Amino acid sequence: MDDAAFWHRLQFAFTVTYHYLFPQLTMGLAWFLVFWKWRALRTGDERYATAARFWARIFGLNFAVGVVTGIPMEFQFGTNWAGFSAYAGGVIGQTLAMEGMFAFLLESGFVGVLVWGERRLGPRLHFLAALGVALGSWLSGYFILVTNAFMQHPVGHATDASGALVIADLPSYLLNEWALIQFAHNQAAALVTGTFVITAVGAFYALRGDHIEQARMYLRHGTAVGLVAAILVAFPTGDAQAKIVARHQEPALAAMEGRFETGPRADITLIGQPNVRERRLDNPIRVPGMLSFLAYGTFHADVRGLDAFPEDTWPPNIEPLYYAFHVMAGLGTIFIGLMLLANLQRLRGHLESGRPLLWVFMLAFPFPFIANTAGWMTTELGRQPWLVYGLFRTNQGFSAVVSSGDVLFTLIGMAGLYFVLGLLYLYLVGREVAHGPGGAESTSPYGESVEAPVG
Amino acid sequence: MAELWFALLCFMLTMFIVLDGWDIGAGALHLAVAKTDAERRQVIAAIGPLWSWHEVWLLAAGGTFLLAFPRLMAVAFAGFYLALWMVLWSFILRGISIEVGGHINDTLWRSAWDFVFTASNLLLAILFGTALGNVIRGVPLDETGRFSMSLFTDFRATGRVGILDWYTLSVAVFATMLLVAHGATYLRLKTVGPVHERSERLARQVWLIAAVLFVVVSIETDFVRPELYQAMLTRPLAWLPVVVLVVAAWAVWTGLRGNDEKRAFAGSCGVIVGLLGGAAASLFPVVLHSTLGSEHSLTAYTGATSERGLRVALIWWPVAVVLALTYFFVIMRIYAGKVRPAQDTQGY
Repeated sequence: MDDAAFWHRLQFAFTVTYHYLFPQLTMGLAWFLVFWKWRALRTGDERYATAARFWARIFGLNFAVGVVTGIPMEFQFGTNWAGFSAYAGGVIGQTLAMEGMFAFLLESGFVGVLVWGERRLGPRLHFLAALGVALGSWLSGYFILVTNAFMQHPVGHATDASGALVIADLPSYLLNEWALIQFAHNQAAALVTGTFVITAVGAFYALRGDHIEQARMYLRHGTAVGLVAAILVAFPTGDAQAKIVARHQEPALAAMEGRFETGPRADITLIGQPNVRERRLDNPIRVPGMLSFLAYGTFHADVRGLDAFPEDTWPPNIEPLYYAFHVMAGLGTIFIGLMLLANLQRLRGHLESGRPLLWVFMLAFPFPFIANTAGWMTTELGRQPWLVYGLFRTNQGFSAVVSSGDVLFTLIGMAGLYFVLGLLYLYLVGREVAHGPGGAESTSPYGESVEAPVG
Repeated sequence: MAELWFALLCFMLTMFIVLDGWDIGAGALHLAVAKTDAERRQVIAAIGPLWSWHEVWLLAAGGTFLLAFPRLMAVAFAGFYLALWMVLWSFILRGISIEVGGHINDTLWRSAWDFVFTASNLLLAILFGTALGNVIRGVPLDETGRFSMSLFTDFRATGRVGILDWYTLSVAVFATMLLVAHGATYLRLKTVGPVHERSERLARQVWLIAAVLFVVVSIETDFVRPELYQAMLTRPLAWLPVVVLVVAAWAVWTGLRGNDEKRAFAGSCGVIVGLLGGAAASLFPVVLHSTLGSEHSLTAYTGATSERGLRVALIWWPVAVVLALTYFFVIMRIYAGKVRPAQDTQGY
């Protein structure tokens, strides 16, 4: 592959991976805010209002970074992937425009109100603002996933006279089976991120003996929702995702499992290192027949290995794909175990007092981000060498007029800017957490200037 | 159908420039109109909660562009590669400086972010002006149907042009002044106290400069693209933006001379609508004009996606716009009223 294609890919991979660290938390927290606002509205219990205010501040910071890192994503379709935009823009433009128009305008319009407008709006309207933001953020996720699903499993399109794709059937494009499964899987995983972050903050306060009432609430709500979400990620959504990959992207499945040879009763590998040159797995520890069962529902099913496919349809990066899949699946399993343990402790009434488990939860919050990133790497590396699966190759899609030097220039710039942005984000969120829940509601994010007379 | 989508795309871009234009203009004036820390917080609070909402209009316009004119979007964005990345960086810096600046009550922290805020907004104004200049002047499209432009070549507005030349630079200066005037008019409407006084004074001065530059740029345009004026004269639809421009300019003039802040601001929005509308109406159907020969120009007809795609999108798109405009009115109501500098200096 020519150099320019490599840099274009690296830049998109970097910017989208970085960007998605933020929306997954936004989407994971959004419904907690709605829930707490709703409880506060119904019961008048100040604890819920305090929790909603505290998390809305963190949500606001997170959202801002999500916006500024998200806008480059939309532009990059044109700047870096002009070949792809010219080829598929007539189809994917539909959902990218819908995302901006239906979802993002809703979400960004009301997020400021959610974070800073409590007194201005009164409890009822403020609850509606939270609902609008949550709805907007999940809708946004859906439209982006439809776009991605089209690249994974194109449906609803036709080809025009110039060879470009155009939309033929909007409903079937919007209700792509792949998109529905991926949305369910991805949103459950975003909830896992949200619950682990909430639980970590709860554990931090519980261990320090600060904000005990709030800590208890975060631990309880976080682990209760966390267990459900962690299970949903694996079953049925993860299971369905694996089956649809097995049906439509066989070479990807083979590479994810490091399976080089075709045969029945395929094993699943728990651990092992793919050796692509020798076409085998080194030091494998396997569960016999499990892959056949997971992919096709019986232990005897034939699972084709990479040898069954022409080499130019193999994903070119087998090793990272294999590890990404195993890191995701391994962490997902650990999340279920941890959340089960936490819920048992909760039922026994020991959740807030069992220090070892609190330590584990306080330190565990980065791992859902890692698992989600690994999951996306699995999806996207598995799609290679195609940009639109089976139709259009990745090395046809980049902007031919943009030189490698230009791309590297902007990649270096983005890396520097995002590094600074990351430091600022961690510092400011750390400050919010250290400051803790409680205190008066904020009326202005921008320092002491207060808008309009406040009672 | 292509005509309609060209109009809708121009509507989206105009919405963005009008809405985010006042943020950009007020931001570029930040250090000039606000001297104390409390005044600076006041300016930021005046645009604060809505900057991301305004910015999203550009994102939605980008999506609409890709939806309706995928080939044009691809050619244009790849061709303007470095310039667009500068826009993105400025957006990122602008967003960060608003969001993190107020979080810590420290003189050094705040003056650093106040500077970043002003500089990034000024850069955005210049970049959008340059972009407009490039669209009017044209780009070096050749027989491959693509172009790739250096930031600058020989600063002449014909042949192998760069992004910057004498013409695009003068459009950039004019557009910057226009957005600054728009921002000052907004701050005059939205604030009280010293910021209000300074904004009012600046608005009067900068609108005059913008008016003079408008005449200069209009004459320059006749040298660079004389056919645009002919197109404008023969198209009754292009007269409408001209009428809007004249009425709006009158509203700005009377609103600024008298004390009608709302009228001046409405006029300010109208001036931008009239200018962009007039430009769009006389450029149509060419979206990317070639400086190497008009046979290479790309039009809305050749760049559009299938008739079917445009028709399908017309089912959902109006619903989305109606929703968006509803949010617009709700949000404007929520944030109605003036921003006052607060007495307390403790931060929140």
